[in-house]
Amino acid sequence: MTVYAGLAAAPGRASGKAYVIRNAEDIMTVPAGAILVLRILHPHLAPLLPRVAGLVVEEGAILQHATTLARECGIPAAVGIRDARSLFRDGELLEVDGYTGKVSRGTSIDP
Amino acid sequence: MLDEVKQVGNMVQAAARSAQPYRRHILGLPLQRSLFGQAARAATTIGLPGLASELDFPARLDENGDLFLDRSQVAALTKALPSWFTPETLELMHTTHVAACDALVDASENAARVAASLSSAARKLSEDLANRMALVLAYGILSKFVPDVLLRALADAGDVEPPPFPEKSAGAELMQNTFALYQACCALNYTPQRLQREWPRVAPEVFHLVREFCNRQTGFGPLAWDAPGYEDPNYVVGLLHSAFTEVDAEQVRRRLSFAKRPAVTPSPAGVRTKIAALRRVLGFWLDFLERETWYVRRAFYVGMIPLLQQLAAGYRQKIPPFQLADLLFLDIRELAAGFADPAVIHARRQRYMENTEYLSLRGVDPGRLATMLGSP
Repeated sequence: MTVYAGLAAAPGRASGKAYVIRNAEDIMTVPAGAILVLRILHPHLAPLLPRVAGLVVEEGAILQHATTLARECGIPAAVGIRDARSLFRDGELLEVDGYTGKVSRGTSIDP
Repeated sequence: MLDEVKQVGNMVQAAARSAQPYRRHILGLPLQRSLFGQAARAATTIGLPGLASELDFPARLDENGDLFLDRSQVAALTKALPSWFTPETLELMHTTHVAACDALVDASENAARVAASLSSAARKLSEDLANRMALVLAYGILSKFVPDVLLRALADAGDVEPPPFPEKSAGAELMQNTFALYQACCALNYTPQRLQREWPRVAPEVFHLVREFCNRQTGFGPLAWDAPGYEDPNYVVGLLHSAFTEVDAEQVRRRLSFAKRPAVTPSPAGVRTKIAALRRVLGFWLDFLERETWYVRRAFYVGMIPLLQQLAAGYRQKIPPFQLADLLFLDIRELAAGFADPAVIHARRQRYMENTEYLSLRGVDPGRLATMLGSP
């Protein structure tokens, strides 16, 4: 099992199908319950958050956009997963551990 | 927390690959790109006078709109900042930052109010507004690492409280307001699907609701002015569809109630300790992080576009086929000087239109420039 380590940005655990934001138009078709994979979570994307299960963000630090928003909404988030948009494909099952900042494919993350 | 922050270094690591841009295609319009060119100058007025004389600003944009960072400058600034932190200098840093943001908002609103009655003064006012935008843009670059430096300084000073996150972030407010729009439209029997299917031929009250929302939320959107954002009803209608189709309204409400964050002990009022000063400065940076794009984008849509409309009238007298969008292909110095060489503008516009990777990334369609400027 491959586990990608980033920073824990917002607590909680979530799993779902990956949905990768690559272009502006991708934000118009976000599936409900998705694990959103994107370069950076800007505030203008906030209205999409209630429909997603988790967040995987390429850029980010403890004090960046994704942290504040994800914590406010209670959405598990891992930030600083470099090249996440290349690593993950739309539709593949991901698990996000917002306590540790780890993201894994397909199977459960070890406690 | 401190260890995690130390691991971050995303920006520094990215900058280490100095030949590679830190971010590609962030800005495409020459007018907006030229505001970044003012960043080095702006660094001298961001409340860090002692540092600015020694250090150059660590970021630049190239002609493709790619952002480059100078690793050595970022590292030097990051290293030098903490030694500069005293209650007095932190107070100066805070007031300067707040003033820069407030001044941009004021200048935007003022431009919107007076643009239509201006003639020759429009050029001066647009330059002034652009300079204020450049300053806030500079803060936007600094926000990638200054908050982390402040957090480390807090830890080093013995602070054990959680970071002073905003009570309710700009994104959270936007989320609530968008949900309220969704509910209002549903109450008028316009589901997101119906709204998208029928827009703009919808009931007048629904049309009004959406337009009002757009006016109030103008400023939220990507950093690039030409990328659609909340000023555009089509964008908002599409976003409503994406955000609220097939969702459990109760789940949305739960999430909009927002997770409780750990209580933050307020600093004693009037106590000028270093920790109190650091927390105050960091608190504003964290709020700024959520609004940095809003400031600059709103300034463009609310303040700069009316000024450009005034300026375009003068250009049309000199160059009959001149279009309003042509002004977006001047840089700010050219705009301020009244420069307009049709051949130069044409070449820049052609280069912009040929940058299909940028246009696709930012969602810029062929009619976008005219739409965003409100000119057919």
